[in-house]
Amino acid sequence: MRLSDLFTLAFNNLRRRKTRTFLTILGVVIGTASIVVMVSLGLGMSQMMLKSFQSEGSLTIIRVYESYENRENNSKNKAQYELTDENIDMFSSLDHVISVSPSIEVNVSAKCNGYDGSFTICGVSQYYLSQLSLREGGTIPKNDQGQLSLIYGNQILYNSFYKPSSYDSIDVDPDKDTIFITFPQSSYTEKTNKTADESTVSKPVKKYIFPVTGIIAGGKEDWSSNSYNAYADIDTLKRFLRKLYKKALVPNPRTNKNGKAYNYYVYDTAYVFVDSMDNVKEVQNTISDLGFNVSSNMEWLESAQQSLNMVQMVLGGIGGVSLLVAAIGIMNTMMMSIYERTKEIGVMKVLGCDMADIKNMFLFESGIIGLMGGIAGLMVSYLISYIINFFTSSGSNDTVSMFIGYNDGGSLSYIPPWLAVFAIIFAIAVGSIAGYLPAVRAMKLSPLAAIRNE
Amino acid sequence: MEPLIKVRDLYKIFNIGSNKVYALNGVSFDIYRGEFIAIVGTSGSGKSTCLNMLAGLEAPSSGVIQIAGKRIDKMNEAQLVRFRRQNVGFIFQSYNLIPSMNAVENVAMPLMFRGIDYESRMKSARKYMELIGIGDQGLHMPNQMSGGQQQRVGIARALVIDPKIIFADEPTGNLDSHTTDDVLNLMKKIVSEENRTLVMVTHDPHIASWADRQLKVVDGHIVETIINETSPIETLIKKETGDAPFCNVTPIE
Repeated sequence: MRLSDLFTLAFNNLRRRKTRTFLTILGVVIGTASIVVMVSLGLGMSQMMLKSFQSEGSLTIIRVYESYENRENNSKNKAQYELTDENIDMFSSLDHVISVSPSIEVNVSAKCNGYDGSFTICGVSQYYLSQLSLREGGTIPKNDQGQLSLIYGNQILYNSFYKPSSYDSIDVDPDKDTIFITFPQSSYTEKTNKTADESTVSKPVKKYIFPVTGIIAGGKEDWSSNSYNAYADIDTLKRFLRKLYKKALVPNPRTNKNGKAYNYYVYDTAYVFVDSMDNVKEVQNTISDLGFNVSSNMEWLESAQQSLNMVQMVLGGIGGVSLLVAAIGIMNTMMMSIYERTKEIGVMKVLGCDMADIKNMFLFESGIIGLMGGIAGLMVSYLISYIINFFTSSGSNDTVSMFIGYNDGGSLSYIPPWLAVFAIIFAIAVGSIAGYLPAVRAMKLSPLAAIRNE
Repeated sequence: MEPLIKVRDLYKIFNIGSNKVYALNGVSFDIYRGEFIAIVGTSGSGKSTCLNMLAGLEAPSSGVIQIAGKRIDKMNEAQLVRFRRQNVGFIFQSYNLIPSMNAVENVAMPLMFRGIDYESRMKSARKYMELIGIGDQGLHMPNQMSGGQQQRVGIARALVIDPKIIFADEPTGNLDSHTTDDVLNLMKKIVSEENRTLVMVTHDPHIASWADRQLKVVDGHIVETIINETSPIETLIKKETGDAPFCNVTPIE
């Protein structure tokens, strides 16, 4: 039998019993729509979460700190666990690592228009600087310059300067306002040079003005892990600090057993850039096994996503149950249809209709029920999804974002194309599977049913 | 001249509880091409079982059925379906037209099972409906037609595949006597004009008398065979083979 004939036969048979077909399809519509809407909620939530994590900082960066235990431990090979240049180089040689940036962090205080402020200047590598997203027109400081220049985090402009008396914060515009920066006193004094050191204390603290090459992208309401810091090129910063702190290199250097400051850099933090999100975990474990403390946003994302997966499974399960009920409905309809058409099937067999054709005819019928239910269910899903997003994005924004934790403009319900395609294929598959048993039963009916006269 | 259908020692035994019921108790006969055969018997005589087994709708308990050189008692169900599709037309007592199809679509249905495209099968269907004399009824639905008209559609449906054999199970059982005569006339005309073979089952001796040859069945035995001496085909068979068609008759004691 031709496919087109099979299809027409199946379609006409469904049309013969419009009400029953409609009701069966309605079951599939509800089943499909509930699965699609539930999954779309899960996907939307996970997408919103990913967005909110991404806005807080890159997901492919691992932060490495010196382990606290190793710091206390005074063993000989202490340097093995310090964030030295050697270790930074070692990190860069790991698989999947694109670049490693050490970070020298100096807490500075600043004054602007009579307001006080404080923030941290982070000296980082050129690669790190190039990863920062700046406001339009901003450039990153060049490597190893004579003059230190800074990138300001956007929140420094809005949230870091206070009137000492009232704690009123003010907005600062680095283009117009001059920011005077003072570096902290060195905590380190060379014993041999005590008198000279005392004389420096009495000196008035020097104020610096640095050119600003850029501002981290974002306005008053945008926060990210970079918002509260100022960034500088690490080599330029090192050069600058050497002038300021001489042999100590940094404001509060570590000392060896003799009380002398280290003559090499030990960084506070190292940032490891990994090539893709999938490899973050692996690299993180490797570095952790070397004896360092590590953290990454990926960790948070993973644990959050794990719990969200759970939610997604529960939601999908609820949808699945209704589709299961719809499948039973299809089966029931097909069974009834076969009992009604026993004689007709018998006649077809007597007249030479292949067994496979009879089976396929019934499979087509249930498949068409699945297909129509799937398409209609998908349309209903898009409608429900639109309504959900409409209400969550405007009207009751506060309550909903409170309920789900965050809402930064993403949509709560998200139906990607693959979900739409999957839903229809799934509905057809459910229809065909539910119709399989009745179809086989129809195929096995005796042709003698045609002869019997009731 | 070779017989088209050869039946030898055909048994059909039903096990009802511990009892064995012999629906057919060893029948043997031949049927030649062009014959109009009537299998006559009362209800429960085994006549319908015999027809069902000839058409491959029921498997015999033992015995041989050979149609056109093929042993259909050895075929499985899929093979039987294919065999029927190629060789057998069937006329039912209750017409059994598909209610969702109009008359011409019903006639064309067996051709659809053969995978013939819509246009050509409709063309053949219309041709046979003309032949049967219901060419103007093509677009009527079965429930809009009288019993006689429906049975004519049924006959056209049996003819459309150009079958070697046509089986008819009480084809006039649901018709009034006037229509019965019309339908039987029609069937007889087609058998003789188109040289078809028709095997008809009936309980009515009057209807059976339309046939070229009657096989009377009682309790699973053929008890009598009546040949219509005026029938041209029987004369031809006698001339060609030198004898009446083979039929193992077991007279009642």
